[in-house]
Amino acid sequence: MPLKLLLQLSWRNLWRHRRRNGIMVLAIALAVTGVMLMNTLMRGMAAEMREAAIDNLTGHIKVIHPGYMADPGIGRGFEPEQGWEQALADVPVAGWAQRVRVPAVIMSERETRGVQLVGVDPAREAISFLGSLSVDGEALSGAEDRRIIIGATLAEQLETSVGRRLVIMTQGADGLNREAGYRIAGTYDADSNALEKVFVFTGAQTVARLLESPAVTEVSLRLESGDDIPLALAELGAVFEDLDVKAWQDLEPQVASMVLVADFGLYIMYFVIMGALVFGLVNALVTAVMERVRELGMLRALGMRPRSVVAQVVVESTLVMTAGVVAGLALAVVCYLPFSGGIDLSAFSETMQMMGVRNIFTPRLEVADMVIVFVLSLVLGVLASLYPARRAVKVTPLDAMRR
Amino acid sequence: MTQHVVECQGVSRTYQDDAVPVHALRGVDFAVGTGEFVSLAGPSGSGKSTLLHVIGGLDRPNEGAISVDGEDINALGDSELADLRLNKIGFVFQAYNLIPVLSAQENVEFIMQLQGVDAAERGERALGTLDSLGMRDLADRRPGEMSGGQQQRVAIARAIVTNPVLLLADEPSANLDTGTTGELLELLKRLNKERGVTIVTATHDPMVMGYASRQVHLRDGEIVSE
Repeated sequence: MPLKLLLQLSWRNLWRHRRRNGIMVLAIALAVTGVMLMNTLMRGMAAEMREAAIDNLTGHIKVIHPGYMADPGIGRGFEPEQGWEQALADVPVAGWAQRVRVPAVIMSERETRGVQLVGVDPAREAISFLGSLSVDGEALSGAEDRRIIIGATLAEQLETSVGRRLVIMTQGADGLNREAGYRIAGTYDADSNALEKVFVFTGAQTVARLLESPAVTEVSLRLESGDDIPLALAELGAVFEDLDVKAWQDLEPQVASMVLVADFGLYIMYFVIMGALVFGLVNALVTAVMERVRELGMLRALGMRPRSVVAQVVVESTLVMTAGVVAGLALAVVCYLPFSGGIDLSAFSETMQMMGVRNIFTPRLEVADMVIVFVLSLVLGVLASLYPARRAVKVTPLDAMRR
Repeated sequence: MTQHVVECQGVSRTYQDDAVPVHALRGVDFAVGTGEFVSLAGPSGSGKSTLLHVIGGLDRPNEGAISVDGEDINALGDSELADLRLNKIGFVFQAYNLIPVLSAQENVEFIMQLQGVDAAERGERALGTLDSLGMRDLADRRPGEMSGGQQQRVAIARAIVTNPVLLLADEPSANLDTGTTGELLELLKRLNKERGVTIVTATHDPMVMGYASRQVHLRDGEIVSE
């Protein structure tokens, strides 16, 4: 049967039952819109969580001592060779930073808290959240800076403020305690209160002097593209042979799992929602086919082959599905655009921080997801029509025409 | 020697009606020569429509052999049977059976489209056939916009436009008034005489029987007289 005739017949048949097919198209469109909008939220959340994980001093890749994760401290430090970064000539790197991060106790006149003391070179911290921090007071001026900056929340807990002194106590490489007093240069306001409570920053050289060690505990790298992680891992692995070179997914496995779930979330949501809808579509198609069984029998009596009858039912179903999906995708885009710049969730700040999401949450509508939904829907439309089509050709032309 | 378009030998067809066998045809021997206008006549349940259906490949006999234009129908699968109907047989049904979403011209072109005839030739032949049946002015109308007689004319146009070797008409006058039936029969007779179309009708309408050149009477699934 010529395709043009097939399309002509199918198209006109759809218009015979405008209301029924219109309702079907509307139902499909709303389901697709729902799937896409939920997906934009999940994609946005996953992206936020990934970016937050990478920003929070992890980077795309981190080099650490093999025992550092189990027993973090300067005893698990190392001294990178000068010029190690030359090994990454093939990988575009946004930046890298060497840090000393050790567990410490911080004391004010009134309170004591456990924190992570991080010695940094501020000039290299554009790759982490430290580079874009809002600081009340002064930021660190360099790796030699002897002052500290602490989180605004920690400052509240310690009942202290900018300009006052705090005592930091930690353990040196020899296992003996070291302590020193530091003046607060500024307090920072991060997206997450958890960060403000945990991280205390000072110059890398200052920490080295405190610990009496030139070692660092981590080298963090941010790449231009996350796609280059495998290549960078391989190249860094060759340079830091005795150290662990880990991707952010290994360092933040929970976040990586959530991102993976978000990737599959589209399929899960799609098949739950559209799966239910397909039963409705099959039912509508069976009704439509049985209403026209006499006509379909007549077409076969005139010489239309059974497979052409099947093709006609399949094309009609596919057209309904296509119309619904296109309308649904268009509606999803229309609904998404006003929120594409981000949604202010500061009213739910505490909850969102627990989920690793910042106050401004940006949904993400990805073209690839739209293509996947479109293709899956066409496949589903064809599958949904096979049973009604089979019923249509099971009836002999003569039986069909007698009805 | 007369060329036979249709040959039936010992054709039997039995249906199961609530587990009771109904013998619609009992060993029928029947042949139709090229250019004949045959009327299968008989009361309801005599087997005339069943015989027409098995000749047209719409039904299969339980026993016996049928050939149409030399092709053994029993040897054909469903798709091959569809091809036989498409290329060699024209059907006119009691209820017209036009495709409701297509115009008169598109209905007439439908079979040619299935056959793969190109658009220009299709249009020319469809309009020519509608013209010969006095229906050209209604070429753009859909079935719902035409009377019963007009629809039956379009059905005939669709059946003959491809020059089939055999035209089968099942109770073609059943839904028509006397005047329209007369016009329809004149038309069939003209097609038979002028174009040599072989026609077999199944009817219990004496008016239709009167127009046929040969009448075959059936009763209880058997041919009782010719």
